[in-house]
Amino acid sequence: MNKKNKKIRLSIIGSVGVPANYGGFETLAEHLIEDLGQKHDITVYCSGKKYKKENRQKFYKGAKLKYIPLDANGIQSIPYDTLSIVHALFRSDVLLILGVAGAWILPFVKLFTNKKIIISIDGIEWKRDKWNLIAKWYLFWAESLAVKYSHIDISDNEAIQDYTAARYGTLSRIIEYGADHTIKTPVTKEAFIQYPFLENPYAFKVCRIEPENNVHLILDAFTKTNRFPLVVMGNWNKSEYGQLLKKQYAHHSNIYLLDPIYEQQQLDIIRGNATLYVHGHSAGGTNPSLVEAMFLGLPILAYGVSYNKVTTENKALYFNDLETLIEQIDNVYQSKLTDIGQTMEKIAKRRYTWSNMAFKYELLLDEALNFKKKNNTNSTSQKIPYQDLLKIGQAHLKTSIKF
Amino acid sequence: MSLLHFISIISAFLMAFILTPVVSLIAKKINLIDQPNYRKIHAKPVPLVGGIIIFISTTITMGLLIQFDVNLFSYLNVYFILFTLLIMGVIDDRFDLKASLKLLVQILLSHLIIMQGIKIESLHGLFGIYRISFEFQYVLTLIVITGVVNAFNLMDGIDGLAAGIALLGFIVFTFIAILTKQQTLSLIFCAYIGGLLAFLKYNFSKKNKIFMGDAGSLSIGFLLVVSGIYMIQNSQSTSNISFVAVGVISVLILPVFDALRVFRKRIKSSKSPFKADKTHLHHLVLETGLKHKASALGIVSIMFFLIIIGYISFKFINFSSAVVLMLLFLYVISMIFQFNNKINYWKKYIKSNEI
Repeated sequence: MNKKNKKIRLSIIGSVGVPANYGGFETLAEHLIEDLGQKHDITVYCSGKKYKKENRQKFYKGAKLKYIPLDANGIQSIPYDTLSIVHALFRSDVLLILGVAGAWILPFVKLFTNKKIIISIDGIEWKRDKWNLIAKWYLFWAESLAVKYSHIDISDNEAIQDYTAARYGTLSRIIEYGADHTIKTPVTKEAFIQYPFLENPYAFKVCRIEPENNVHLILDAFTKTNRFPLVVMGNWNKSEYGQLLKKQYAHHSNIYLLDPIYEQQQLDIIRGNATLYVHGHSAGGTNPSLVEAMFLGLPILAYGVSYNKVTTENKALYFNDLETLIEQIDNVYQSKLTDIGQTMEKIAKRRYTWSNMAFKYELLLDEALNFKKKNNTNSTSQKIPYQDLLKIGQAHLKTSIKF
Repeated sequence: MSLLHFISIISAFLMAFILTPVVSLIAKKINLIDQPNYRKIHAKPVPLVGGIIIFISTTITMGLLIQFDVNLFSYLNVYFILFTLLIMGVIDDRFDLKASLKLLVQILLSHLIIMQGIKIESLHGLFGIYRISFEFQYVLTLIVITGVVNAFNLMDGIDGLAAGIALLGFIVFTFIAILTKQQTLSLIFCAYIGGLLAFLKYNFSKKNKIFMGDAGSLSIGFLLVVSGIYMIQNSQSTSNISFVAVGVISVLILPVFDALRVFRKRIKSSKSPFKADKTHLHHLVLETGLKHKASALGIVSIMFFLIIIGYISFKFINFSSAVVLMLLFLYVISMIFQFNNKINYWKKYIKSNEI
């Protein structure tokens, strides 16, 4: 068998597991199995804490499953990822690691083994408010190891690629998330009864109820305008922040607060029929919920950070504070909204499909196996000795700033 | 401690307390002030009189002590050398002398100190080395004195820091002097404690703020290192020698370590080691979000722990390990602050690129 057709043994590490019930990484793992499972030999590491003994399977859609009896998130993610990595070293050629929690072991992996490592650094995790100081410091350090000691690193957004280029001088690959698992669903009769607000135009937002998602700002804005009501879905009782907001806004006539709905059809009904999708995420990276809303053809009003602008190709509506938010809500007209919705859908169909993501990952697998030297962002002129550059009058190239 | 110690502290404190407003007024007339610029944190011009005031108030106190039959005359030569350095500091504060000239004067004065017989004669078993050759004694003493003086000068970056470090240093020195029965020295240190306390009061005040200036930081650093060497020398033939040496090193090591760390860093990133930037320990501590006063207090607390670590490890292990452990402690502390600084740098970088 020649090398090209040989099955690559791939381990997917760092997600909660499949079948996917949870967030972005799990959905990604599921779609990678579907698209690449026939051609390659895939193992997915799953959290034993999230899949009870009786529900565990040895194989899922052709991929082997391995259960690690730890949580995939929080502090336990460090031993969870580490154990998965060590186990995977004995049974695969390429390790696809999602998240940087286990990155402390990568220098050893690179030194003592010949396994190829592809790591998705998933946004700028160390900057997020949900971590305490020690966790932030660890993640900051782990990220540096992840980039330095992997063969290929993946960021999910151009703005993050800029950051890794500036900090490490290496070129990160961009692979975002797919959104084509969401389906436009017409409103059913039962839904009208259960959610009366569906009859009229409304704005919608779904997110974790955290300050970094600007929930307070958006709620405040919608109490100051009555253009249309706002429906916010999220886990309100999880934090003090959420409880406070719930107390403050639950009875406002212009605002509907919903608890999370895990049934995809119900969610798609409420989300897919909104007049406007408000996206307040300020933390790093491409958000799966944003690309899903785009795929549903919703007009997007997003917080104006670089990540959201890159994701929406700078063609949505943006706000930076309370004033601009209210202004956008009050001034936008229907035909403009329709227009934006169509543009978003076009972008999503071009960029954010799972087959597209799987294709990109497959290319990276090949590249990792033929890895020579990590891409860096230095120009080729950096390799010319300074004296030679000086002779030809091009010495300024030595100090050129990246980009 | 005797009554004389308290008289010394209180006398110097009161003198400095009374003198400061008067001298500040004169300083403003003759332009002996610190003008705010882009690297400085204060907004109004501040008189650079702390060094002069501490010197005058301690001098008057010593005059008082002579009345109590304290024999201070054997230190007269050192006193004049210190006075010369102070004058150079004042001139520098007023007219900005060239760095090379300042260094030359410092080396000259260090030479005069060695001529007084004050020098490092032995490493006292540090890393197994004891007595050293005369040439090496001379060179080492020159380097140590000028090194500590300049390192101490660099500590004078935020309110209360250099004075706080000097205060803690003189307190430790007073204890050492009393324990090794060097009564006269301990009285001089007490005078400086009083003077520094009064200085700190004004230094922290908003209305009558003063700085110690180069005159202050150079002369106080000079006094600390010279009396440190002198105390070690004096206890040479006693069983206290290692204890005194650990005490002196624990007082002087923090500024020196930080200066060397900053120099190394600047050389590594191919900058001149003498070009000012914002990488000193107090800059790193300020990065954590602490206010100036808290940062100064924090660094003085670090020094306090350092002294405790030095003392305990000397007591239970030995002299060499005390020095090594103190260095290790400083290294770890600096690493932590540098790490925090690095995170903040990238946080700001990301923030500026987000919008």
